[in-house]
Amino acid sequence: MPCAVTAVTTVSAPAIGRDPAVATVVIALWALLLLFVVYPLFTLLGRVLFDHGAFTTAGIAAILTDRHQVRAFWNSLLLALLVGTGGTIIGFVFAFTAARSRLPRWLLTLIDAAVLLPLVSPPFTTAIAMIFSFGPRGLITYELLGLKGVTVYGLVSTLSSEILTYFPIAYLTLRPLLGAIDSNLEGMALSLGASRWRVFRTVTLPLCIPGLANAFLLLFAASLADFATPLILAGNNFPVLPTQAYLQITGLFDLRGGAALSFMLLVPALGVFLLQRYWVSRRFYVTVTGKGAGQTPFDSISPAVRVTLLAACALVAATILYFYALLLYASLVQALGANHALTLRHYRVIFTEGLRVIRDTLIIAGLAMPLGGLYGILLGYLVARKPFVGRRTMELVSMVNYALPGTIVGIAYLIAFNDPPIELTGTALIIVACYVFRYGATGIRATVAMLQQIDKSLEEASQGLGAGSGTTFRRVTLPLILPAFFTGLGVVFIRSMTAISATIFLVSISWTLITVRILENITELSLGPAAAYSVLVVVIVFVVIALIGRGLRWFRAPGVIPVTSMFGG
Amino acid sequence: MRIVTRWVRTIVALPLLALALGASTPSMAADTVNVYSIWPENWARPMFEEFEKATGVKVNFVRFSSGEALARVIAEKTNPRVDVLFGGPVETFAAGINEGLFEPYKSPSFARLPERFREPSGQWTAIADDPLVFMTNDKFLKENNLKAPTSWNDLLAAPYKNMLQMADARTSGTAVTRIFSILEVNGRDEDKAFAYMKKLRPNVQLYTKSGGGGTLPVGLGQAGGGIFFIVDALDTKAKGYDVTISFPKEGIGTAAEGIALIKGAKNPELGKKLIDWATSPAMQNQFAKYKINFVPAHPDVAMEPSLAAVIKGANIFPIDAAYAGANRKHVVERWVAEVLNP
Repeated sequence: MPCAVTAVTTVSAPAIGRDPAVATVVIALWALLLLFVVYPLFTLLGRVLFDHGAFTTAGIAAILTDRHQVRAFWNSLLLALLVGTGGTIIGFVFAFTAARSRLPRWLLTLIDAAVLLPLVSPPFTTAIAMIFSFGPRGLITYELLGLKGVTVYGLVSTLSSEILTYFPIAYLTLRPLLGAIDSNLEGMALSLGASRWRVFRTVTLPLCIPGLANAFLLLFAASLADFATPLILAGNNFPVLPTQAYLQITGLFDLRGGAALSFMLLVPALGVFLLQRYWVSRRFYVTVTGKGAGQTPFDSISPAVRVTLLAACALVAATILYFYALLLYASLVQALGANHALTLRHYRVIFTEGLRVIRDTLIIAGLAMPLGGLYGILLGYLVARKPFVGRRTMELVSMVNYALPGTIVGIAYLIAFNDPPIELTGTALIIVACYVFRYGATGIRATVAMLQQIDKSLEEASQGLGAGSGTTFRRVTLPLILPAFFTGLGVVFIRSMTAISATIFLVSISWTLITVRILENITELSLGPAAAYSVLVVVIVFVVIALIGRGLRWFRAPGVIPVTSMFGG
Repeated sequence: MRIVTRWVRTIVALPLLALALGASTPSMAADTVNVYSIWPENWARPMFEEFEKATGVKVNFVRFSSGEALARVIAEKTNPRVDVLFGGPVETFAAGINEGLFEPYKSPSFARLPERFREPSGQWTAIADDPLVFMTNDKFLKENNLKAPTSWNDLLAAPYKNMLQMADARTSGTAVTRIFSILEVNGRDEDKAFAYMKKLRPNVQLYTKSGGGGTLPVGLGQAGGGIFFIVDALDTKAKGYDVTISFPKEGIGTAAEGIALIKGAKNPELGKKLIDWATSPAMQNQFAKYKINFVPAHPDVAMEPSLAAVIKGANIFPIDAAYAGANRKHVVERWVAEVLNP
């Protein structure tokens, strides 16, 4: 890894002399990124490209020239593009509705709860609910509409399921941003005679562009990496790469081929990332200037638009609630579709046989959450604010584990950390590290987007008054980017409770996860316990998130920008 | 402002402290054997509990499907985490032999088993046998005025169009057994067998990742029918779904389920103890008690009467291990190229 070493040395030259705190953190972060992102990846590459010490590309060439795999590649791109676009639009509609239509608080809380549901449960639970509802014998297609011979497997259902699962990420990215936009700007434009639509088009929307770009990137990457949903819903006529890679590795024992397939995904992921960097960096907006003014509430949308927006949100929310009501029902009956006698049997099973799994999962998520949150704001802050050499590289490296399909990250970790010098397989640490460096990305993106909204002069003033960069970060920047920190915390915790694609390879004899048990239960035909576990995950995450939201409200001091917590506070 | 940072610092510092204190690896007790089970937890758990009762040795296990379990053992080859690979069709174990994963071990029961239930050098031993069956949804059959299929050609009928689910040969041992069954009933004429599979393809709604993946959809009527291992099919029926189990008159294959000692195992003696127990009547006599519908591999264990009744009269043949081992790779590749992605 010679490139990284140069990066560190070149960083230290200008930075250390002037600011030891920044240099220390930069070096520490680089060390962690090298260990948990670069090293596993190179170990895996080594496995792929070297056969008993000899360099070979034969395995990769065979995959790249296979027309089915090429088709899967285009399918993945199409799916990610549609999920990114659709999810960002829905996420924006929700965020805009929540931030601008002056809803009563209880309604906001309800919308927030519905929006968060898909995010707080394993992706394949939505997929299973889709099959129950829209299959050849689906509750909706067959029982309700009487349609016969409907095919549920394919692009449309995979797309719908992924959008429903991932649009909350867009919502979480955009909501604090919309909340942070000084509504006086919109008010001024309105009072200068612009129509509401024109204000939206020329003031609100442009201010949101960095956030929209971030949301799109995150959704695009999430869809590119998701294997659980296509595994259940894509069927045989719409193969996508992550699923193909997973099957290649776990089914054909072809690590080399699977890795090659995954690396094909890295190309579009990086492409979108660079495009977004270039595009966003040319649009730099500052709305929090430190020259604070009172917020004047006003109606930025007309009543008709308000009703339309609410109806759209209600429709999506109702679909989600229906899916989860079905899940709850499945956890409370003997066997869905066969014996609908009510029972608590499945809960008894998960709280006896499954108790260890629940404990393991909670410990791991509890460790990953704060570490991931801290990692997110630190790295986000550094790359957005501190001019050290290699910061673009650092940002890029920090996104790698998120952009890569989880399957490949999991296999890479497994290979890299199975043997000395760094033997981590079988520990909780390997799973925690995987979550932090994979899902901390959301916190990084949120921090960067947030900081692009905050004028540097605030920090400069602090440093001008003699505070060091550490103090400035803690006492000025941190409170300002607290919403991003909480977004980071929330997402890492949620993902730690619900992710599967990478960690299915990292669970071990000593540490295992609820999500892996759910998937096993589904393949074992034990739908009841699978549903019961899912309900439990949803409940736990909701409780923790409510606590985080309360914490955020608690610590909000007067004079801080009116942060909108991610949970309707 | 100060309180914010102090609070942030606390919630970040706590887990760091926990990590530093070594919350990572709980030490493994010396009387515990570590196992990857390919059998689902609801069958593996009672077996392991019985083992603990009988020997005092605890079993620490995780369940993975056959492909995943094998991929893990391969990845951990230089530093094995488990002592025993438990359950799963023996063709998975055959793939493991090629990777050099197993330590040969012959349990006391080894010599008593029929030849197809043991690898000659003792790299794996069978603990059960599992025939394939046709499973169809009763309501689907009634709506389409069909009888339960009794021939491979019955599955080609028009009402089955887009209504069958069966496993994907890339991940599932069930699928591989199914393909070799089709090869056998076609006299090992590959072209003839593949012509049949291609004809069947439009009727297949979905090829599932795991062998039992299609049982629930068939039970619910999302699919009309499929080809599964008997143990999954009978479990579906036992759960209360209205399905019918039938056999093709041309015959259908059966696959043995294996157990093997991992090379480099940390607790080889305990692993051997588990293998001794699992390959003997001590374990296989428990199948009936826990309603696990595997056919016992040990000749001294009688088949459970209701299972015997289902199988009675069915034309079931073992898949020839040597033939399957030699042809598995190219047959699966041909299946992917010609049947899955025509």
